[in-house]
This record gives sequence, C-alpha cells and structure tokens, in this order.
Amino acid sequence: MNLYQPHLMRVTERIPETHDTTTLRLEFQDPQAADAFSFQAGQFAEYSIFGEGECTFCIASSPTRGGVIECSFKSVGKVTKALARADVGDTVGFRGPYGNAFPLRDWEGGNLLFIAGGIGLAPVRCVIWNALDWRDRFKDITIVYGARSVGDLVYKRELREWSARDDVRCVQTVDPGGETEDWTGQVGFVPTVLDQVAPAAEDTWAVVCGPPIMIKFTLPVLQKLGFPSERIFTTLENRMKCGLGKCGRCNIGRVYVCKDGPVFSATELDALPPDM
Amino acid sequence: MSKHTLHLAQAQLHGLVSDLLAAGTAVIAPAADGEDRVEYTRLASPAALSLDARPLSPLKGFLFPRSEPLFSYEQRGKDVTLHPVSAEFSPRVVLGALPCDAGGLAVMDAVMGWDYRDEPWFGRRAATTILSIVCPHADDSCFCSAVGLHADSPRGADLLLVPVDGGFQVQVHSDKGAAFVDQHAARFAEQPAGSAEQARAFRQRCRDRVQGNLDLDPPAMRSWIESSFAHSLWSEIALACHGCGACTMVCPTCHCFDIVDEQEGVGRGTRRRNWDGCQYELFTLHGGGHNPRPDQGARYRQRISHKFAIYPDRFDELLCTGCGRCVRDCPAGIDLLEILDRVQALAEPPTDELLRAAPGGAS
Repeated sequence: MNLYQPHLMRVTERIPETHDTTTLRLEFQDPQAADAFSFQAGQFAEYSIFGEGECTFCIASSPTRGGVIECSFKSVGKVTKALARADVGDTVGFRGPYGNAFPLRDWEGGNLLFIAGGIGLAPVRCVIWNALDWRDRFKDITIVYGARSVGDLVYKRELREWSARDDVRCVQTVDPGGETEDWTGQVGFVPTVLDQVAPAAEDTWAVVCGPPIMIKFTLPVLQKLGFPSERIFTTLENRMKCGLGKCGRCNIGRVYVCKDGPVFSATELDALPPDM
Repeated sequence: MSKHTLHLAQAQLHGLVSDLLAAGTAVIAPAADGEDRVEYTRLASPAALSLDARPLSPLKGFLFPRSEPLFSYEQRGKDVTLHPVSAEFSPRVVLGALPCDAGGLAVMDAVMGWDYRDEPWFGRRAATTILSIVCPHADDSCFCSAVGLHADSPRGADLLLVPVDGGFQVQVHSDKGAAFVDQHAARFAEQPAGSAEQARAFRQRCRDRVQGNLDLDPPAMRSWIESSFAHSLWSEIALACHGCGACTMVCPTCHCFDIVDEQEGVGRGTRRRNWDGCQYELFTLHGGGHNPRPDQGARYRQRISHKFAIYPDRFDELLCTGCGRCVRDCPAGIDLLEILDRVQALAEPPTDELLRAAPGGAS
C-alpha cells in the first residue's frame, strides 16, 4: 500500500445544502484507521468515488467532534457530481489530512471574526465549531456570512443555531435581489455588510474565505477597520492531485499550497506573486 | 565503500549483458529501433546495445512510468475492496545512462522524498543499478555544464564508464556499484597501462565539447525570475508556444502527474498516475472555472520558474540537467538556451563601464 491509496469511508449522512451543494458525513470503515486519525482545523483531504476519481476539499467538520469527517462541496465536475450522488451506506475514498492549519491556539484570549461567502463557509465552519467547543478560551465571536441568494446559503440549520446563541454574533446577508419575502437577515454584499457591522479590530483575529471577488473587496474593509495583515487569515484551494507536494500544480510563486498552505495570513499572501 | 577503478574490455561487454539477462535481471540500455532511432530500451539480447548515439527520450520513464497503477478497486454493492500494487521491484541494470539522465534521477529524489516518501519511485530506485557513460554526443542544444553537471558527471550513477582503448575504464561511485563489480568480478580486470591517462583525456574532451554552449549564474537568474513575474519576456516566449507540452514529456526532471481512475469493466478498475505537464490549460483549471494560469505566458513562466527558482529555493537543486531535449524536440523551435541567455542578461546588472557609456550615465 502506497501513499496514494486512500482509507475507505462509509457515508453515514448526506445533507443537500443548496441546489448544487452537498454535505457528506463520513466514518472510517477500519476502526484502527479511525483511532489513528487526527487533524487540525484548516487541513484538507482528497476525497474519491472509485471509478470517477479524486478531488480536494477542506475537512468541514471540527477536530473537536472526533471520529467523523464532513465535507461540503459544490457539484461542478465529474468527481463532485459523483460524490453528490453518493447514498448513505456507500463507500468513499479519503486521503489526509494534508497541509497546515489555522493557528487557533495562538488566538486564545482574543476575539474572533469569521467572514465567509457562499461555499467558502465550509472551511470556516470547521474553525467556528472548533472555537465554539472551546468557547471559554475566546472573547467575542462574530460571524458575517453571505451568499448570492437565500437559496444559496449553506449550513442553514447551523446558521439558525449560531444566530440563536447569545455568545455569538451571527450576521447573515444575501446579495441585493437574492432576498425572499420572509428573509430577516441583511441585504447587501459581504464587504458592505462587514463595514456596517464594524467589529472592533483590537485583539481580533479574522478568518476570511469566499470567492476571489469577495476577498478582494473585503480586505480593504478590514484594513479600514484597523486589522493588520498578520491578523487576517484565509485558506486557498488550488487545484491539486496528490496533496503531498509532488504532482506540481498548486504552486503560487515559491509556495506549494498543499504543503505550505492551504492556510495563509494576508501578510504571507502579500509576499506572493499574483499567480492565483 | 571501497572506491576503486577497474577495466571492462569491449569483448566482455556483451558477456556482461548476457550474464545479467541469464540471471533474469532486466538490462535497460540505448538501443536502435527498426528506424535507427536510439532509445533506452529493455534489451532482449546484447546485440541490440548501441552506445554510440544519444537516446531520444530520457531515462525517467523507467523509474517514473508514463502511466502506472497506484492500486486497483473492486465494487460490490456498497462495499469497495482495494488491492495494493506490488511494492516489490525486480532488480534492473541501466547500462550506458547519459550523465544528464542519471543526474536527473538524483535531482528528482528531492521532491519524491520530500516529507512523504513516494514508494513506487524509491522502490524502483533501490532496485536499479545505474552504469553511466561519459557523454561524447554533445551538440549545440546541450548545456549540462551550465546547470551544475558535466559530460562526465557521475551524479546518480553507481558506476561510471569512460571509453578507453579496448573498452571502458570503470569507476565505482556507490556501494551498489561496488557490489555490482564484485558480483561480476570475472568480467572486470585491472586497468591496463595508459588507460588512466586515456580516460582523463577523453573526459576532458567531452567536457570541452559542451562547455562553450552556455554560461549561467543560477543564483542571479533565480532572483531575477522571483522578481519578474510581470515581465514581458513570458508572453513573448508564449507567442511561439503551441502548448503541446513536448518539452515536459522529454525532460529528464519534469515530474508533474495526474491521478485518474480507469474503469476496467463493471465495478472494477485501477487508479493510475499519469504524466501531466504545466503547459496544459487543464493542469491548473479549477472546478469552478477559474484558472490561475489562464494563458500560455503564465504557463511558460511556471515552467522556467519551477526549474530555475522554485525547485532551487525548496531543494537547493536546479530542476534541469541541460540535456537539450526540450530544444531539439520543440515543434515551434523554442530554444531554452536562448531564453536562459536572455534571462541571464536581464539578471546581470549593467557594469560600471556600460553605465558610463550610456547617455546621461554616471561620469
């Protein structure tokens, strides 16, 4: 058995999130592999349907909820479409965890600000649950999440749960025109809403994940609010095959996203060429 | 390791190959095909051996196959059974590897062993004994001497053969090489008188042949590449490039790969790793449609950057052995020597003399 042979996982739950996004809950078929497995928030993995191929996403569940792995993905290609068709009980391949993680331990004692757009909530959700399971180690926790429309919001049940908690400030928004009649959240693009929410920058760590256009317009808002680059973090999802630093496609300048990332601070990103 | 030098008489060469074949050891060596093209070939008999021409393709395919199985899978209902591929590789001998090809394997060891050990690669490496031969074939496309090798470099070799009168001087360069000459002691002899001097002279002649082709300052090139992401050079090169990727396929150090599943009937198949290359649009295309390297200029920049900046930064090695194949085989006539020459010129700050000569320059 070589590096490229995956663990076999059983699909134990399949949750349709939106018209094109699915969450799968996976459990190791080999109890020994389950015992040996551990990961940190922010790491990614290679998921596969045998006969279709492999693809790369973050682990969307929290390492504090052991024994189970969840991944959320949009059906855009051959493998993601096949994964989306997987039923409870089906077998899926899993290799990982790979890459670095969010330095959550370094943030203890501070405030956390999570900003996500669309499916970008998946890697952020992992950190949110990790932080909520360690709630007493952090001060304020703020979540700003937006999607194109109400129908495009992922993890709706968890958004409701976070909104109902009094130790989390959860702001949801949809792009103008994406609201429904009974929508009670904000209407506006994530950067605009973030500017209105205006979380205090002092002693706060920010995690930003979403489409490139959202990140592009969110960073200046964070800057205006007083966030230094070294306290802003994101996770990159370049196309990968091996996840192990060998197959040669995920470089951004000198960086191998699979080995040096996928988590980077804005300071680290600033030092890279715009090869992304 | 006992470092010693022996002699292999021309008359013993075919006998050595026969011994190996008789023992069931695969022998990979340059051999001419029916159309007089020389390629590294698994020999069926010693007669096919042809050490007087440069193989068209590199050696890497014998250690990193164009397509290789990683494991096979079998589906039954909701269950899947995986069958690992064998990690055992039978012993093989490469006879007559060019220094640029054997050197390429040593360069690739760095990435293949980086934190995660690529077992198929190292399994084949361990099973393979490499007899390099000093290369007298240099042409205008060769530039091994500009990238840290030489026509007589023993890098990546267990034994180095140097053509001399009546056969080859044999230098031992590894424990595996020493074991090989011990095992086949009857085929080797003491060096005849005058042989050492002939070997020295031959090596020098071969070095000299390639020496004048290109002169590089790799650290200066690297820092220019790292700071010249937006330079027009990249799009200029790309105007000629078809994006066919031939340069990556014939390169002894290009190692990019894809991982795909191939169905072999209902519910069963093999997950394989296949060669891939940075010159293809699909190489980096995201599922969502975004492509970080959307045009050939960006892709060519990646090729040059990976070889002369990224890999040296990470592994302290150039990802190029100067074999010249990408130059000879480019259907658009893109010449890496010309490109590197230009990069080198751009990387060199103008001398004081030039500055003084320039209008308005320092006086």
